[in-house]
Amino acid sequence: MKRIFTMTALACAGLLTATACSGSDSGGGSSDGPVTVTVMTWESAQTNAAIKKALADFKDDNITVQLVDTPAGNFGDKLASLTQAKKLPDLFWCGNDTEQQYTSQGLLVDWSSKIKDGDGDFKADNFVPSAMENWKTADGQMGGLPSLMNTYGVWYNTDAFTAAGLQVPKAGWTWDEMYAAAAKLANKNGAKYGLVADNLTSLDGPFTMGMYSVSAGGAPFTDNVNHPTKAEADAKYTEGVQKLVDAIKSGSVSPPGYDVANVQSLFSAGKVPMMFGGQWLAAGFQTDKPKVKYGFAPFPQVDTPTTLYDSVGICTPTYTKNQDATFKVLEYINTKVWDVVQPASPVAPPAYTPAQASYFDALTKAQQPTVVDTVKADLGAEKTVGVRFTTQWAQQVGDLTTANYQPILSGKKPVSDLPAYIDKINGLIKTAG
Amino acid sequence: MTTLPTEATALAGTDQSGADPAAPPARKKPRLVGTMAWYVVALFVCAVMIVPLLWMITIGLKSRTAVFDIPPRLLPHEWTWSNFLNGPKAIHFPRLLLNTFVITALSVLGGVMTAMMTGYALARLRFPGRKVWFYLFVGSMLLPGVVGLIPLFQLYKSIGWYDTWLPLIVPAFLGGNPLFIFLARQYFLAIPYSIDEAAKIDGAGHFRIFTQVMLPLTRPAWLTMAILAFQASWNDYLNPLVYLYTSGKWPLSVGMASFISPFAGKTPDWSYFMATNLLYMLPPLIVFFAAQRYFIQGLGALGSTTQK
Amino acid sequence: MSRVSPVTSGRERAGRNRGGMSRNAGSDVKAAYLFIAPAIIGFTVFVAYPLIRSFYLALTKYNGLTDPVFVGLGNFRRLFTVDPAFWPALRATGYLVLLYVPLSLALGLALAMFCNQRFAGVRVVRTLAYLPVVLPAVATITLWKFILDPQVGLLNTILDRLGLPTSLWLQSPKMSMPAVVLVMLWGVGGTMIIFLAALQSVPTELYEAARVDGAGPWSVFTRITLPMISPIMLLQVILQTTAALQTFNQPKILTNGGPGFSTNVLMLSIYKNGFPNLGQIPQLGYASAQVWVLFIIIIAVIALTAKFSSLWTYSDNTPD
Repeated sequence: MKRIFTMTALACAGLLTATACSGSDSGGGSSDGPVTVTVMTWESAQTNAAIKKALADFKDDNITVQLVDTPAGNFGDKLASLTQAKKLPDLFWCGNDTEQQYTSQGLLVDWSSKIKDGDGDFKADNFVPSAMENWKTADGQMGGLPSLMNTYGVWYNTDAFTAAGLQVPKAGWTWDEMYAAAAKLANKNGAKYGLVADNLTSLDGPFTMGMYSVSAGGAPFTDNVNHPTKAEADAKYTEGVQKLVDAIKSGSVSPPGYDVANVQSLFSAGKVPMMFGGQWLAAGFQTDKPKVKYGFAPFPQVDTPTTLYDSVGICTPTYTKNQDATFKVLEYINTKVWDVVQPASPVAPPAYTPAQASYFDALTKAQQPTVVDTVKADLGAEKTVGVRFTTQWAQQVGDLTTANYQPILSGKKPVSDLPAYIDKINGLIKTAG
Repeated sequence: MTTLPTEATALAGTDQSGADPAAPPARKKPRLVGTMAWYVVALFVCAVMIVPLLWMITIGLKSRTAVFDIPPRLLPHEWTWSNFLNGPKAIHFPRLLLNTFVITALSVLGGVMTAMMTGYALARLRFPGRKVWFYLFVGSMLLPGVVGLIPLFQLYKSIGWYDTWLPLIVPAFLGGNPLFIFLARQYFLAIPYSIDEAAKIDGAGHFRIFTQVMLPLTRPAWLTMAILAFQASWNDYLNPLVYLYTSGKWPLSVGMASFISPFAGKTPDWSYFMATNLLYMLPPLIVFFAAQRYFIQGLGALGSTTQK
Repeated sequence: MSRVSPVTSGRERAGRNRGGMSRNAGSDVKAAYLFIAPAIIGFTVFVAYPLIRSFYLALTKYNGLTDPVFVGLGNFRRLFTVDPAFWPALRATGYLVLLYVPLSLALGLALAMFCNQRFAGVRVVRTLAYLPVVLPAVATITLWKFILDPQVGLLNTILDRLGLPTSLWLQSPKMSMPAVVLVMLWGVGGTMIIFLAALQSVPTELYEAARVDGAGPWSVFTRITLPMISPIMLLQVILQTTAALQTFNQPKILTNGGPGFSTNVLMLSIYKNGFPNLGQIPQLGYASAQVWVLFIIIIAVIALTAKFSSLWTYSDNTPD
């Protein structure tokens, strides 16, 4: 009995040590000699495989590139955890808001000087200008470089439109036309809502609504998503909100709280006639081919074409072991990697303009002409609206939106409560901004 | 006040307490109606408990796109048995299963061991502060786990235990479950001291008394505790979620939950998920059916030991 | 409360030098502390330290990376006056407790009484009722998430076939919390087993005596059964209420706060503030303040319930 006990104790000790050891990562290489640069993305498994292949072509004697495995569904949690543990990989995909927040906390490497006087073609001038602007903090620092542009539009089910005798959406269509189509398409052929517009009803809703007011000649929700000074809802904005409230009430547009987790599959099955979405769904539709004919149209307008504007990029933590090596890999990703990845997985147009050609070629080859047209139109749109605040207190805005804006959309509060919500946002900007 | 588990086994076997043999067996008709009513309700209860699981199996057998057919069909059109292979592969099921086993085994061992040791000392040894410590340990049952969440998270981070299994296992080895300590003490108090005497006369020291005399005697107690600890650890979701971020280190609970979280508009694959879910449910089910008696006894003991 | 007889202590002194660790009073103490040493360490590290540290953190602004900044009662001020999410979180938590605790106790007791009868197959019913408790929580919660899907889920399919009204369940602000409670109630088997044990330790003589006196089933229930199991009922009320106040898994997996704030219970709100998603800066000090509010609520509930317990529980004062 005593022997059994001793054996058990030893086994436990062994297991505990093993778990403790498996926990500690082996440190990086020494500062001289080969350097390993780690990269973490949020792309799907297919896209990641393509990226890995492209990275294998990076030829440098001193640098090995390693793609860190991340299940796409948990990128946010993982990013937060790695930040806390101070174990962020050398290059990680990040949104504009993350970059702004982290840079102002001093967590990221500042690339602004390197990119301003870059070597060869890899310099600021060759990037989409507005992306460059948005990635700078108030004091000109750039905690990362934009890599891909996000464009948004309306995915539509061509078959449903033809069956209902409606004209498919195309550039220049209006908000009223959209709502009318949604009303006609709702509750037909297994579809519940005619339009699922998560961008309009989620926490980013107030910003998306700015497209209506700007297109009508009014003011956006906020003057600058990175360094806002005020929020406002002018007469045109309120008009847009009213139209949305009416559409939700009539059941043609999905209300706030609609779970969009399954929307992509429902769209592929033909159960969602129209949905707001990003151009990256095109890559998903390559692998899971939808049963229906579909297309991608720009957002509707009132008078002038307006679209949402967003970009994602790649950031580096300050404790990266070798900044030069990391920058070299960063340059490689932004310039060369997308040429290899896009044909298999056309995710997004790169922010580095010379690399954009491969994206459009890939889409044309995949017979997605509507996507090509819409993305090109979006990139060239004269009026754009930011997607969300990128400030440190952005999370609190989410709570205010949930408490004040979304009830207006669901009809629980009257539209006349809109100014009260704006006041609260302005109050927050004043105290926290 | 204390009842040994022998009393509690009464509930596991007999179903006779309600019926009263002394009552007159007359009035058969209402009895028949009563019996029919009982069986109808029983059927309903069983259905509510079982149908979700059966449905899970049908989803697991459907193909990926068939899941979103509207209106949904109850039986799958094509029987996609491959889901049971592909689904687990997609989240590296074997690896996560191994992780869960190791974490759970160690937690159970630690929890039961320290609870029995502490309960033994509190019940059978005289020492100053015995009552104080008992009240402190039991009082800590009142402390909601959430109070410790953030300070312990920072503590583990600062000693480098972040992203290891140690935060999940070590608390068990340090008397992390006061309920078990309470239960252990109850069981130990019920053992007559004559047994101690006999062992002492034979020249046994504390340690030998504990391992060779006490533990075998209280087997129902620590078996029950082991099963409760197994359930608690196998089910734990919040703690691994907070302390582990490398997906290769996750136990099944976090792995399965991450399966269904969408990102950037990509729908989770429900048919894969349901197939894997079935496999995820199997180990606790097997343990349950093997040790059913002790499972039910464990909770029952909670019911009777505190029944004054 | 000495349970060692004088005879024993005499023997202790006599047996001083026999065997490994000798059993005299001094070595008793040493052995005892050795036995409970792990628990003492555990108590210090996992109970005392978090209590003190979390209270300190509640008075600071802390993002986990830089040092905490003392802000006094600022967190609490923000919590009670400015934060638009706090009062809805309290409301959601209260709603959950009010829905779940009475229902689970009533259902558990009803099921226990149901299974406490002599019918063929009662063991099957009992096992099946307990089955959901055995299954891993994440497995069952994620399963129910899909069952409650308004378009392709099982529940709406069945309701539709039966001609009953369907609902958006987790996506409807009104029904989201009832849906969450429904999922929680699927595990009522655990409560059932505890009540079953309590019911079976009620002495049958009482029932026989009542029958002899001609009492009907309702009086038997209210005058005998309920009082006899009232200590267990009290324990269950306390345990279920404190557990319900700390519900996390179901809201997190099913709705992550639900439409609006309808299922954003306090535990979930704490988690969102302390461990936020996608590169938002954690607010650990603020989350700690919320933790303390929850803690005070739990202590208050336990104290109140225990205080009023003597009013309605029956305690068997026979000496053991």
